[in-house]
Amino acid sequence: MSPAPRITTRRRALAVAIAGITVAATGCTVANSGHSGYDPNTLRIVLSQEPPTLEPCESSLTSTGIVVRSNITEPLIEREPDTGELQPLLSTGWRQTSPTEWTFDIRKGVTFSDGSPFTATDAAFAIDRAVNSELQCNVDGYVFGDEKLKLSAPNDTTLTVGTESPDPILPLRISFVEIVPRTTSTTEMVREPIGTGPYAIADWEYGQKLTLARNDRYWGAKPTFARAEYQWRSEGSVRAAMITNDETDIATSLGPEDGAGDLGVPFQNNETTALRMQAGEAPLNDIRVRQAINYSVNRTGIVKALFRGLGEPASQLIPKGVVGYNDQLALWPHDTEKAKQLVAEAKAAGVPVDRQIRLIGRTAQFPKISETIEVLQSEFTEIGLNVKIEMMDTAGQLQYQLRPFPENTGPYVLMIMHGNQAGDAAFTMDQYMLSNGPQSAYGTADFDRQIRAAEALTGQARQDAFAKLFAEEPQQIMQMAYIAHMKGILGKSPRVEYTPNSATGDEMRLSEMTVAQTARTDQS
Amino acid sequence: MFPFVRRRMYTSALPLVIVLLGVFLLARLTGDPTNLYLPESATEAQRAAFAEKNGFDQPILTQLIDYFKGVLHFDFGTSLRTGESASDMALRAFPATLQLAVTTMLLAIVGAVIIGCWAAYRPNSLADRFSSLLSMTAASIPDFWFAITGVWLFAVLLGVLPTSGTDGGLSWILPIATLMIRPLGVLTQVVRGAMVSALSAPYVRLARSKGASDFRVVSHHALRNAAAPALTVAGDLAVGLIKGAVVVEAIFGWPGIGKLMIDAILQRDFAVLQAAVLLTAVSIFVLNIAIDACYALLDARVREPAKV
Repeated sequence: MSPAPRITTRRRALAVAIAGITVAATGCTVANSGHSGYDPNTLRIVLSQEPPTLEPCESSLTSTGIVVRSNITEPLIEREPDTGELQPLLSTGWRQTSPTEWTFDIRKGVTFSDGSPFTATDAAFAIDRAVNSELQCNVDGYVFGDEKLKLSAPNDTTLTVGTESPDPILPLRISFVEIVPRTTSTTEMVREPIGTGPYAIADWEYGQKLTLARNDRYWGAKPTFARAEYQWRSEGSVRAAMITNDETDIATSLGPEDGAGDLGVPFQNNETTALRMQAGEAPLNDIRVRQAINYSVNRTGIVKALFRGLGEPASQLIPKGVVGYNDQLALWPHDTEKAKQLVAEAKAAGVPVDRQIRLIGRTAQFPKISETIEVLQSEFTEIGLNVKIEMMDTAGQLQYQLRPFPENTGPYVLMIMHGNQAGDAAFTMDQYMLSNGPQSAYGTADFDRQIRAAEALTGQARQDAFAKLFAEEPQQIMQMAYIAHMKGILGKSPRVEYTPNSATGDEMRLSEMTVAQTARTDQS
Repeated sequence: MFPFVRRRMYTSALPLVIVLLGVFLLARLTGDPTNLYLPESATEAQRAAFAEKNGFDQPILTQLIDYFKGVLHFDFGTSLRTGESASDMALRAFPATLQLAVTTMLLAIVGAVIIGCWAAYRPNSLADRFSSLLSMTAASIPDFWFAITGVWLFAVLLGVLPTSGTDGGLSWILPIATLMIRPLGVLTQVVRGAMVSALSAPYVRLARSKGASDFRVVSHHALRNAAAPALTVAGDLAVGLIKGAVVVEAIFGWPGIGKLMIDAILQRDFAVLQAAVLLTAVSIFVLNIAIDACYALLDARVREPAKV
């Protein structure tokens, strides 16, 4: 009978060993990590995703820019979010000194958070690194395209920027470049940058928490909160619950159904939703069909019923406040009978209107997108079109959104959401209206010429020229069926004073957040 | 014992290679990640440069050979998203999932044994029916629904638990409860069934006739013999926990391998996806070997090849 006890002993030993190894291997790394309790000097923010990097030249990425821009690093010039007006920041003034050269006056007495002084040499370095290097910075492609800049710093307070051809909006483009010290790597991107902003990185526990601490060397007004602590939760309802449960002070990217209640603050963001019609294939190559699609879209109903009023029906691809917005442009009317008539006319003329059209949407691109797509399918079916819904993830949908478009796809209508962060219609026109624009499915040589002519103008002439183009596009091209200028919801604790603006989703300035005088939190 | 483990390791190597091959090829079938990483306005030249820099311009076979060469040198590539080493990211995330899975499984086993034994001791009693209803409900509830409802009820409405995160012991409760509910339900059913059979076996009647107490009969005689089927199911469920932590980690912001994998899939971050899948596959193989080793300890017929 001796083997039985031995096996029992071995089994117990094995169990203890496995338990011990498990505890040792896991190291209790997760429990209690970073637990700090409530601190009234710390601003708590929950984002929808962890920033993949804090590299300043990637700050055109929403998830990076929302943390980095004007918090850790700063640009030479900043844009006033609601008007698009340019304001001095690290540059105190700028002027066009020749058709292809701009000169910027650099602010004196500024230091980086590591103590090194900021001069024009740093500004030249940072712009050169972002635009001319091989780093493939997001801001390079987004703002400058193929353009190369010639930079020089004749002294510590003067920066000159040369362009290959006259660029009337160069200062606007420069406002996208975050300034880093000359010691920053030019061969590799940095995850944790040094900047001149009101905050500096204190600690980044990858996957869990990012903490910024007030930069005591900051040249401007001291921000209210000594620290800012970012966390991230992918579920909107959890972010909203964190606000209502007083676990966070700010929650980004909420939807109307997430449940933030009165703590959810609606605000106009830069985004506009639209359907882009791939006009190269029948039946979408017939303008009557494209017009019929436009007539069938009940924009007002979608905004009211699906978006719960969080948006405004759109007549163009840019919202109010962007240079080129046409405030005289009326909504395309919702007229189902007219739409049916146009489809019938096209059918009578031999257009294969019963050919299946793919209606492509991106999952979770905005709240209620699935329902919006279903409503649109129903509307298109009602006027006699044959439409099939296809929902895709981001990577899948982008294949259809960006050139080169996939081949042999059949006709498709694509839901897009465009955000003009720059505040100037040129960034929209280049992308969506030029016949070979990276996100344009259709155009004409004549309309291209009109766009180029408008882009060469400045001031009121520029505004008028773009506004005219937005009015003419539906008559000449009709590539889009606009749906709505979107609104976002920001969850905000009663203890924080902050008014979100159209740039909040891309650039959330912590220095604008203060302690509310009427409310307090009793957590301890 | 060691020859047995060695045999199992050899037989596990081929499936591991097949898993890696499958993930590599399937990931690339989902499309080019260039569009996700470059701005929408990037030029064709910029896109071509990105593809060249990351090897996406090479034929799939060349990319595959390069990948396997890297794996042999423990080089799993670099994340497109963060620029970090993919293996560092996977290794950093894995302990969080392991902690969650191990704690959940231990609690599920203890809970299932207690409830299952209690139900089996008085078959068809009210307690038995109640526990059956409870365990079947638990096994059927969608974890996503349970998690969100749990957040609403315990965090928002009652305010007794944090919504999410990893700050303090209380933050473990909802993730573990969500992850545990299905294994607990399934295991309770299995333990109950096995215990009902065991408690009616002749050796239990013999033990009772010799005056053994009820507790001793259940814990020393019946439960020991009912352990084998429970171990089989627990092994499968434990594997499922490692794979299935995705929902829990995503909802509760738990920085584990499941969340890392789903982010890598959505971002087409191939290197991280492959490293995470490899680590998960290896851990599942190790777990399977451990389970087989437990069988071998329990049953000599498994330990030694049959001799005719």
